[in-house]
Amino acid sequence: MKSFHQTTSMIAKGALFTALLLAAVPGEAQLPRDPVDRAKAIAQILETNASQLTLFDREGKEVSRIGPRGMYDRPVLSPDGKRVVVIKGDLDKETRDVWVIDVATGAGTQITTNQPREAANSPTWSPDGSQVAYVALRAGSFGLFRKASNGTGAETLEYKSSAPIDLTDWSMDGRFLSFFSADLGGSALYSLPLDAAGEKKPIEVARSSFRLQGPRISPDGRLALYVSNPSGRLEAFVRPFNAAPNPPAPPPGGQWQVSDQGSVGMAYWRRDGKELYYLAPNRAVMAVSVTTSPQVEFGKPRVLFSLSEATPIGASQAGMSRDGERVVMAVPPPQLRQLTLLDRQGKVVRTVGPPGLYGPPALSPDNTRVVVTRNNPQNGNADIWTFDLTTGQGTAITNDTPPDFGPLWSPDSKHVAYVSTRGSYSGIYRKAADGTGAEELLFRYTPGAGIALTDWSADGKFFTFFTGALLVVPLQPAVANPLDRKEIDWLKEEYDVVLGRFSPDSRFLAYMSNETKVDVMQVYVRPFDASKPEKPGPGPAVQVSTNPNGANGMISWRKDGKELYFITRDFEVMAVDITTTPAFQAGPPRLLFKFPGPVPGVQQGKVVSQDGQQFIVAMPAAASPTR
Amino acid sequence: MRQRLGAVIALAALLVASSAWAHHNMSASFNFDDRVTVSGPLTKIFWTNPHTNLLVDSKSGDTAGQSWSMEGPSPSFFRARDIPRSDFENAINKTVTAELSRARDGSHSGLIRTITLPDGKVISLCPQNC
Repeated sequence: MKSFHQTTSMIAKGALFTALLLAAVPGEAQLPRDPVDRAKAIAQILETNASQLTLFDREGKEVSRIGPRGMYDRPVLSPDGKRVVVIKGDLDKETRDVWVIDVATGAGTQITTNQPREAANSPTWSPDGSQVAYVALRAGSFGLFRKASNGTGAETLEYKSSAPIDLTDWSMDGRFLSFFSADLGGSALYSLPLDAAGEKKPIEVARSSFRLQGPRISPDGRLALYVSNPSGRLEAFVRPFNAAPNPPAPPPGGQWQVSDQGSVGMAYWRRDGKELYYLAPNRAVMAVSVTTSPQVEFGKPRVLFSLSEATPIGASQAGMSRDGERVVMAVPPPQLRQLTLLDRQGKVVRTVGPPGLYGPPALSPDNTRVVVTRNNPQNGNADIWTFDLTTGQGTAITNDTPPDFGPLWSPDSKHVAYVSTRGSYSGIYRKAADGTGAEELLFRYTPGAGIALTDWSADGKFFTFFTGALLVVPLQPAVANPLDRKEIDWLKEEYDVVLGRFSPDSRFLAYMSNETKVDVMQVYVRPFDASKPEKPGPGPAVQVSTNPNGANGMISWRKDGKELYFITRDFEVMAVDITTTPAFQAGPPRLLFKFPGPVPGVQQGKVVSQDGQQFIVAMPAAASPTR
Repeated sequence: MRQRLGAVIALAALLVASSAWAHHNMSASFNFDDRVTVSGPLTKIFWTNPHTNLLVDSKSGDTAGQSWSMEGPSPSFFRARDIPRSDFENAINKTVTAELSRARDGSHSGLIRTITLPDGKVISLCPQNC
């Protein structure tokens, strides 16, 4: 896990929520090595995640689709609007390269040829479109490179950085490459003068303990557009840019907030400098008029068009043309989900609540409600919701800016626990399941580290989460200060251990591990001794799943502890008979039913009812990308 | 941004063996802009999740005479690249050279970016540790 990435991702709630929705794990996860399994896994990832480069006009009407679907990121239109530079991931080769794609024909030109896991990132165009610049990791350092946009010739290193950087702009006068960098202590905006003699050194445009992204320099070189979150919510700002060696006179005043309902980024200037654009948290493409004479003034933000709730595009998936007439977006497959209750044969019992952007669901122990992370379509917040299984009535448990995720039910169904990140810390919080009252912090983890919370034991005494090791958090004895609660490494091995789930009697922990093969997870069960939670109890790990392709999560126990469930990589829901006397034994897995395709979130959720008769899943629901 | 998303996905999606676990924020503990090279005999290895750790007695440069603790990625990072633990076990008491991001607390510890084993094999721990 990378520092910069991890730091910024803590507050990148949109990205986080999108991640929670995804079924498979592109990018950094270990794909199967077996060619057939690998191809199948890649196909699943593409089905769920591959985006379509799409050109829209400023009213949101689709103009054209550009080339085939792919793992695209950071599309930027060329100054003449005829090409797109974009990062394209190759899952099989595990590479991310810069490509230039012709808008009219979809023909692509590969600009970089990276080694596996040697990622390129954040491309941008030179003012005349003859070159592209990008960040790439080479030999342990990040470099700002530029290369001819027709792919010919060698790349030129402009600047080398030990820390990760994100390129955002090549100024319209051609003089600056602008980028930002962030870590747990804050962020900084930089501009690199390209016409400097000798070694090029970046100019620090701004530094803040808050998040900063950008900048993009105005066409006249006087202003810098960026996003920041001093209020806790990301907004678009403009400030004077006067760091050039011979700067034009800066305008009076300090900085201006130009968005009024949040901005997730995609901040662009129109070529004439009279309009700027950004993406709002509710997926609206916004425009703001700009006046610079006699003084700098900004109009009220207005909506050009909005993407539908089914299309949770982040700022890294959209780019505005220089004339403000076109927007290119990497449109993902529809992400809208419908909470659906299934029986043990996989037949639909009923749908629950409205379609929405849902994370992994969890059924309440009393089998009356489901708790789930829901992305608020109005403000982009990822909050915890419960829905009544019978009426579909929804209740917001949280309603705040920090992303809340990983919800679990208390054993008595009266509370929900969830993970939220506040500042540098992720913590486990608890709140009444009817949404009333204040939340209570139960546990806070190491600064900057995320919590993959997976279970709350049926006796209410432990949480479990994982970091590659499996950890437990004792909730008893009670403590006056939740900061006094400490996590305990329960299973810390050379292999990865994930997704712990306590047996109903809290005597066992089921989990997945790649103990045998690094690219294959299997389900195992080990004894758990509450009096000695620092290690598994006596006895061997018992492998429960038997398919050579492994398991894919959804570990759940029936309330009587005599049946255990998991899902395979082929989205087969399996049941296993369990006996624990005289020793733990697992029967052969048997198929209950199979999903027709990937069901995002089903792997992580506690989706099985206590009696093992019902399953709650967030099924994909089709919708159009714009509204 | 895509890389950031990928990092979150690796944590949030939970399910496939990841080669990139972490139980703390790298940039909170290590300064990526402050690099140091440490060379000397490898004295001990710790090979468990969420990350590996190597101890080296530095014999050269500004760090000579100091014992350094060097953090690496998870064992699965190496497994996924067919780099066995034995490569490191066999390097104990032999000279290795590591390029590190120095710890912010000023201790003799760092995050490994690249390491050269006694046989000359260079292992890059990027992008996980870069």
